[in-house]
Amino acid sequence: MPAHNLKSMCVIISMYSKQVEESISNANASVGDEIELFDRKTGKKVHGTLMPKTEVGDPNSIVLKLSTGYNVGIKYTDQKEIHLISKKKEHTFVKPELKKKRSLPKVVMIYTGGTIGSKVDYVTGGVYMLTKPEELLGAVPELADIADIEVMPLMSIASEDMGHEEWKKIASAVVDATKMNAHGVVITHGTDTMHYTAAALSFMLHDLNIPVVITGSQRSTDRGSSDGFLNLASAVRVAAQSDIAEVCICMHADSSDLKCSVIRGVKARKMHTSRRDAFKAINSLPICYVDSNGEFEYVGKYRKKTQNGKQTSAFTNMEPKVAMLKAYPNSDPEIIDYYLSKGYKAIVIEGTGLGHAPTSTADESHSWSKKVKKFCEAGGIVAMTSQCVYGRVNSMVYRNLRLISSAGAIHCEDMLAEVAYVKLCYLLGNFSVKQAKEMLVKDITGEITLRSEIDSFM
Amino acid sequence: MATPDYAKIGFKCGLEIHQRLKTNTKLFCGCNALMANGDLVTSLERMQRAVVGETGKVDFSTSFESGKKRTFIYDAYRNTSCLVDVDEEPPHNISKDALDISLTVSKMFKSEIPDELHIMRKEVVNGSDPSAFQRTIQIGYDGSLLINDDSISITSISLEEESSGIVSNEENSVKYNVDRIGIPLVEIDTGPDIKTPQQAKDVAYRIGLLLRLTGKVQRGIGSIRQDVNLSIAGGARVEIKGFQELDVMDQVIDNEVIRQQRLIAIKNELQKRNAYPGKPVDVTDIFSSTKCKVISDNLKGGGKVYGAKMPGFIGIIGAELGTNLRLGTEMSDYAKVSGVKGMIHSDEDIPGYGISEEELKLLRTILAMGKDDAFILVAGKADSALRGIERALERAKIATKEVPMETRNVNSKNLTTRFMRPIPGASRMYPETDLFPISISNSMMEAAEKSVPNLEEITHRLSKLISSKTLAEQMLKSQELQLFEELTEKTKADPNFIASILLEKFKDLRRNGIDAYSIEDVVLESIFSRYAKGDITKAAVEEILKLLPASVESIDKIIREKSLKRITGNELEILVKGNFNFSDKGKAMKDIMSKYRLNIDGEELNKLLK
Repeated sequence: MPAHNLKSMCVIISMYSKQVEESISNANASVGDEIELFDRKTGKKVHGTLMPKTEVGDPNSIVLKLSTGYNVGIKYTDQKEIHLISKKKEHTFVKPELKKKRSLPKVVMIYTGGTIGSKVDYVTGGVYMLTKPEELLGAVPELADIADIEVMPLMSIASEDMGHEEWKKIASAVVDATKMNAHGVVITHGTDTMHYTAAALSFMLHDLNIPVVITGSQRSTDRGSSDGFLNLASAVRVAAQSDIAEVCICMHADSSDLKCSVIRGVKARKMHTSRRDAFKAINSLPICYVDSNGEFEYVGKYRKKTQNGKQTSAFTNMEPKVAMLKAYPNSDPEIIDYYLSKGYKAIVIEGTGLGHAPTSTADESHSWSKKVKKFCEAGGIVAMTSQCVYGRVNSMVYRNLRLISSAGAIHCEDMLAEVAYVKLCYLLGNFSVKQAKEMLVKDITGEITLRSEIDSFM
Repeated sequence: MATPDYAKIGFKCGLEIHQRLKTNTKLFCGCNALMANGDLVTSLERMQRAVVGETGKVDFSTSFESGKKRTFIYDAYRNTSCLVDVDEEPPHNISKDALDISLTVSKMFKSEIPDELHIMRKEVVNGSDPSAFQRTIQIGYDGSLLINDDSISITSISLEEESSGIVSNEENSVKYNVDRIGIPLVEIDTGPDIKTPQQAKDVAYRIGLLLRLTGKVQRGIGSIRQDVNLSIAGGARVEIKGFQELDVMDQVIDNEVIRQQRLIAIKNELQKRNAYPGKPVDVTDIFSSTKCKVISDNLKGGGKVYGAKMPGFIGIIGAELGTNLRLGTEMSDYAKVSGVKGMIHSDEDIPGYGISEEELKLLRTILAMGKDDAFILVAGKADSALRGIERALERAKIATKEVPMETRNVNSKNLTTRFMRPIPGASRMYPETDLFPISISNSMMEAAEKSVPNLEEITHRLSKLISSKTLAEQMLKSQELQLFEELTEKTKADPNFIASILLEKFKDLRRNGIDAYSIEDVVLESIFSRYAKGDITKAAVEEILKLLPASVESIDKIIREKSLKRITGNELEILVKGNFNFSDKGKAMKDIMSKYRLNIDGEELNKLLK
């Protein structure tokens, strides 16, 4: 999720200073109550609803919501008194009801958290994760006309906090969904590491025969301008109506709210910190676009559903000892020794350009080739990708490429660095090192393409 | 008309003044805050939806807007919009300038300033903000303004983001320009303690004056807006927007009082008659070959006509609420929200519309109308026609019960008000979670206190600079005060000349359709500098202004092309002595000036001829 929503994620607990907390409780008041702050010296009074204190701001400032709706912070001092006016009124939330239409294709919605699943608490002002995913459906009522949706609440966490364990849980949940005869699966997810999860599921799920569509939002869905509404509606459409049998990411195609692009899970990357069209297909075309009227426009290749009747399974073993490194001018390759000493089995290098790391440096200690060689000779795998993000790496064009390659680094074609990382975790978790090495540069699920389409850049 | 006893009719009135601040950047991003746009970068199409609030309900004004199902288009320009403005990037830190100015304003009105400022999001449902909310901060509360011995409470002073300006309004989409969005503005709200329409005008003038005295506010059209909130006993709170001229504020308020009084009378009459609005009936078939252009135009593309009988409404739909304002106008304005062009009703000249006797007869039959029943007709596209007549009927029903709370717009022609939308409930406000609260330090408070302008001091200064007492007074109240001070200071041109240009010549030019107010400050500065240095004459200054130079360079061009360079000193002497007969000084003066009016300074010539 974008950083600007992160900091306010878990701030419902009040963080007043001890002195203020005591005075509040002495007045028999609590957050949400109407109080009056009386200044004995000046005789002035301020009337308002007591708000909680977030982790930011002065812990000695009492936050009041005035009748105008504004919040103000007023410093609490010895000359001030808190008077309770009235206790807060409990209001009942009208729970949105989702009409179910059994005749529509069944879509299982796996809920994992993220901005799309967060909302502002109007009373406290904090942003928190929805605990009832049904609320999300209430915000996009037209979903009920697209699919018969079954919500599967799995977890409620921000995507930057996800790791292998969460990927495993999600993969197993998708397998469960296939057993429920779902036409497709939608996974709501935080956007930061959405493409890592997409890659992980792409490798883990074998014999997948339905669309698994991951979606999220860059703006929380309690904002009238959220991108989540269109993303969710489009994702459910893809899950309910398409014949795609792959893991894909469905997010805004551009900054307007007109269409979403559906991108193969191993060819997607978050390319912008905050824009709604942050996800782009890298080194490939999107599979298709879905517009706000529900029209599909197919542009890229994809695997279609088949009638082979095989049950989808999940290979969820993941090797934890895989690292990612970035090569940059004057970088010290000694870090590779560290990983070796910690028992790491593979390293993905985000090299420069065509897949370089500093090699023939004036200061020999800055040359990566020796360290790479040492790591490989110890039985480790070094995968070379490019920090250019777009394009294919090459091991032959320049001498330095040949040197790092002969040191043992494996150039990974047009595979994204993040995908190479996930792929190595998966390969080393399920196959021998020898097999893993061989499979690294072989296409398994669309992560490596043989042709670089001319119009697949930017 | 006799002036009513405002206290007796329960007159309640308060003002909301919005003033744009003059800062280098917008409130929460680095964009230019002066609307110097540059090229169009993109046009974004966005959808917004009403989100369920804390109670789980969507309020009436929200649903009224979202019922329109419109797309919002945002035009963004190179210099004035960035990702923050189009809801694609979190806000940057607050503009320190804007914060300082607003603290000064709070001090000016003796308001309490919170120790910690909290940035809020105020929900916006009409699409005017791509983020669907506007950021706003309470800077002051519990302030006051003394005006002719009456103390008017200043309940709230806030610093907020300007919304975007509307470009066009189509049936299914509204286009906005986001150049304005995020420009800092202060909103000053008075309590409902204004006693008369005249006082409302006085307070508005005074607040505007005080704001301009800070020297840190924008000038020009739209840079200050005054909204009036008012109600009378038995009436309802109405918010009036769109005052172009402050001078007519009292008259508009008086006319609004009359409108409410007449609506109350109408309500009583309708209740006496047991009047009620009927149900909409599809009467399209009756008009399939009608000569009524208003209807036939709508039927061309597969449109529909709906009619409804209005028992007890005869004579009342057409009853006047003000100049060119009837209950029918109000109903029609409600209908228009759904995209239809208007409404026809039976208090109007029906044959005049081209509706035949035959059609009328059929209509009466189909609507099952009694002899004394009125009717209304609404034509338009199938769904908008139905929604339109429903809205009109809804307004008629309200007329039987009460005066509705509404946001209304000034009709500057008749000085009446027209319906814009139902008044929004208390705006939903929640904290801006992307920004931290701001602690106000003692030094900031002191600096704000120090920069409160002193009215007497400024009055005194002006009287010294401008010799005409009227012009000096006019300048004090004028939007051009700040510009005047800047130009006087920077160009060293004669303050009297600058004042007369800004206050008199500009108005003069506007009457002739030339908007000299649009000339940029730097350009004006260059013109007056040239005058002060003796490069051009007073007459040439006026000539240049007429041509609205867009840049400093274009002044050069004008001077060159129009030969406006001043002829002075030796050059003048040579010209005069070589070409004119000195014996008749009066005639010489006249001859020379008629030929070189724009190039020769009259005074200099006079001296030379002596």
